[in-house]
Amino acid sequence: MNVLLFASLTLRELLRRRLVAAAGVLTLVIVAFTAWGMHRLATAIVDGHPLGQPTVRATAAGIVILLAFLFSFVIALGAALIGAPAIAESIVNGEILAVLARPVRRAEVVLGRWLGTLVALALYVAVAGGVELLVVRAATGYAPPHPLDALGFLAGVAAVVTTAAVALATRLPALAAGIVAAMLFGLAWIGGIVESIGLALGNQRLADAGTLVALLFPSDALWRGALYALQPATFTAVAANANASGAVNPFTVTSPPPSALLAWACGWIVVVVLAGMVSFRTRDL
Amino acid sequence: MPGEAIVARGLAKRYGRIDALHDLTLHVERGECLGFLGPNGAGKSTAVKMLVGLVRPTGGGGAVLGKPLGDRAARARIGYLPELFRYPDWLAAREVLAFHARLLRLKDAPHAIDDALGEVGLRERANDRVGTYSKGMQQRLGLGVALLGAPEIVFLDEPTSALDPVGRSDVRALIERLRARGTTVFLNSHLLGEVERVCDRVCVVDRGRVVAEGTVGALTGETRGVRVRLDDGWREYDVAPAEIPDLVARLVAEGARIHAVEPKQTTLEDRFLALVRHA
Repeated sequence: MNVLLFASLTLRELLRRRLVAAAGVLTLVIVAFTAWGMHRLATAIVDGHPLGQPTVRATAAGIVILLAFLFSFVIALGAALIGAPAIAESIVNGEILAVLARPVRRAEVVLGRWLGTLVALALYVAVAGGVELLVVRAATGYAPPHPLDALGFLAGVAAVVTTAAVALATRLPALAAGIVAAMLFGLAWIGGIVESIGLALGNQRLADAGTLVALLFPSDALWRGALYALQPATFTAVAANANASGAVNPFTVTSPPPSALLAWACGWIVVVVLAGMVSFRTRDL
Repeated sequence: MPGEAIVARGLAKRYGRIDALHDLTLHVERGECLGFLGPNGAGKSTAVKMLVGLVRPTGGGGAVLGKPLGDRAARARIGYLPELFRYPDWLAAREVLAFHARLLRLKDAPHAIDDALGEVGLRERANDRVGTYSKGMQQRLGLGVALLGAPEIVFLDEPTSALDPVGRSDVRALIERLRARGTTVFLNSHLLGEVERVCDRVCVVDRGRVVAEGTVGALTGETRGVRVRLDDGWREYDVAPAEIPDLVARLVAEGARIHAVEPKQTTLEDRFLALVRHA
């Protein structure tokens, strides 16, 4: 009950502080820009001839992947910047003191703030990502093979970064917790590339180092899931051939993340949320 | 309602090598108003936070309303005004109180919220956002939150620090109303005159240790000495209170013209300063 109360407080705060409005306006601008660009692509004339449908779709697929990559950064930063202050600022303000003097469990505060942030980001991913994909489809006729899976994986990226930000904010100031969570996301992405390079070059140490990073901070595994869900079969085949010759492209993957890694990511989220609860419960205020 | 509202037995808090509070032992009866005094850094706020369950003691223990410190059921029956706080500027005062009413699971929340707003004089600004409030109004809101749901004990940590003289007077009247209703008040304040006027008992802490405890009268001690204003100015005489009439009669008999007689009063401030400076 109290969990939902803290979650709704987080959502109300995002609405009242005009964050939702600001994000909505900027997203509309991006969607409009995408629509314009995709329309230009679909109606482009090259050497006096319109582009063939396969070329339009392949180009659109590449652009969608690039947009999704940028989108993953936006939601990761959003998760870090919304998740961390939700708890840390209330500690600095002293607002939490009167709240925790009520018959409230500290774990309920952590879980509620985490849930509220996650719901806000998941809604944003669903609406902004969904509209973006619909616009691409309307303009070019291209639809990625598994759009809902892709949005789900991107929401998963948001969940991992939110979880880290909220857990860190039980001990660190908002700015530090947010920056650390965002840096961990960046580190995980680099770890994913290192793993790809290691696998392509047959260098087990590099591959293991990348795997270790993916286990410690599983956001990149989820990004790769989104990537696989977005890329057409032709891209997968090209990526497999490129890998076989030792070439690496960070915007393509040859297979979806293994189920065990996805289960690990879910377990990681649960464990880190619990760690955040314990950390907050044992903290003097 | 008889019985002990607050009990602390050897309560201690240590942060690394710093003793924030050392061996605090005190008992507060139900319906009593205790003034908790001490200079900055004496450990007053730490003590209050331990009593409301926000800070875990490193030694000793205690009980609030018969339950161990931090007990959730007991926390439903207490109100707490922190020393330093700022409510979210995007919420209205009524929304802040509604949020706390939900945490308390109050049955008649709208009525309780109106009561709390009325107690602290914020009814007319109840729907304005906290961001538009002055510091004093935020302090009043904090008091309203502490009083929400008619708690059995109210912990007030520097309740008048941001208030003007009118606000301070309002808080004094409020504490007197709470006492009249039988609410236990734990008042942490720097304003000794305020404490002297509203508290039954006083506990003075300094550098984490209790240096004095007792009723205001017991702490200030027996008055001795008197100041008499004669034609040529004030003069002081070292006599007991019972000897003052004889002194006045003797001075008049000797031909002195007496304009005023003031028994010398040891104030709580005098006693407090003596205690903390001596320590």
